[in-house]
Amino acid sequence: MVTLAEDGVSLFLPKSYDIIWTLVILIIVAVFFYKFFLPKFQAIFDERAAKIQGGIAKAEQAQKEADEAKNKYEAQLGTARVEASKIRDDARAEASHIISDARARAESDAAQITANAERSIESMQQKAMVSLKGQVGDIATQLAGKILGSELENKNVQSDMIDKMIADLDKQNK
Amino acid sequence: MIDVFSSGVTTLAEASMEMPSIDDFLPPEILFQGTPFAINRIIFVRILATIIMLLVLGITAARAKLIPGRWQGAVEWFVEFTEKNIVYQVMGEVRGKRYVPMVVTVFACMLVFNLCGEVPGFNIAASATITLPLVFAMWCFVQYWIAGIREKGLGHFLRDEMFPKGVPVPVYILLAPIQLLELLIIRPFSLTIRLFANMVSGHLILALCLSATQFFLFEVANKAMMPFGVITFAAGAFMYLFEMLVACLQAYIFAILTTAYINMSYPEID
Repeated sequence: MVTLAEDGVSLFLPKSYDIIWTLVILIIVAVFFYKFFLPKFQAIFDERAAKIQGGIAKAEQAQKEADEAKNKYEAQLGTARVEASKIRDDARAEASHIISDARARAESDAAQITANAERSIESMQQKAMVSLKGQVGDIATQLAGKILGSELENKNVQSDMIDKMIADLDKQNK
Repeated sequence: MIDVFSSGVTTLAEASMEMPSIDDFLPPEILFQGTPFAINRIIFVRILATIIMLLVLGITAARAKLIPGRWQGAVEWFVEFTEKNIVYQVMGEVRGKRYVPMVVTVFACMLVFNLCGEVPGFNIAASATITLPLVFAMWCFVQYWIAGIREKGLGHFLRDEMFPKGVPVPVYILLAPIQLLELLIIRPFSLTIRLFANMVSGHLILALCLSATQFFLFEVANKAMMPFGVITFAAGAFMYLFEMLVACLQAYIFAILTTAYINMSYPEID
């Protein structure tokens, strides 16, 4: 019992060599952790965090650039579309303008040509009528003179008769 | 598993002659006897465990890559667990940063040394002399005194500890000495005794179960007693796993109490 108690007490009494070895081990291990192990892993953790953060930032930058480009293209597309429709409208307006111009010009040309033609026809008719009248009168007079054997003396009577004949001829022709 | 236990039993049988006793914790000096550098069995186990730990962790750190493998991932998990779940959770990141290496050192050493009790061939925790937990506890003691003096000054630190606010004045007669005792003796010695007693009792129970198994299965004269060996073997297997849990748990408790004691030296405001 006494020896057991003595053993029990000595269990709780640190031995000097035990203290020395424990201190040696503790110092070595502490230096290892403080100077090598943890700085190394801390550096790796930091590097990894920086890399992840950098990756995220890069992705965000790329996303932003893509969005900007998209917006730019969409804006360009919009203005192009507006321009195209404007050009189309202009062209359509111009075309209808040209058509109506051409039509108006053609109509006026046609009217002029018709009028000219009518006028020339009329004048030709007039001319023909006058010359015909003269010729027919002469011929008829000669003819009548030959037939009657005498020349009609009175010029007024002559022309009256001729006019009457022509009117008769006209009537017959119709 | 059987090999593990039987080899354990042989070592134990050689070391303790069947029955474990507290002599297991006072082994004879085997090297440099009588000098201040004498080495006994437990110190030998401790030195060996230290060398293995430094080699394994040193190689891991030297080969550490940005993208971790499985082993590196496990080591990193240990470091981050200690950093975040022990130090930062107790102290906060600002105060805790300077103590991370200390707590990692304490936790890793305790874990490795405590688990030596479950390593076949070692069969005794490297922390199973009073000295090792005492030295680690003294480290903690020095750190919380330094922290208190640095953060508050010696006078303020002692006043805050011995005369906590909100206590009726007469109570201080009783409270102040107790608080001083706590600060000087109870904290480091509770750390020490808790760990040491756990390691001693764990070793005794495990060794008792295993040497009883050895006795009942192979050495008992009356063969009818052999079924007892099966029971003691089952108990030994259970105790083996239980002691692994205790080893990890005690290392964790030691680390978290170290952190908590240092944190208590800081001013209250957060």
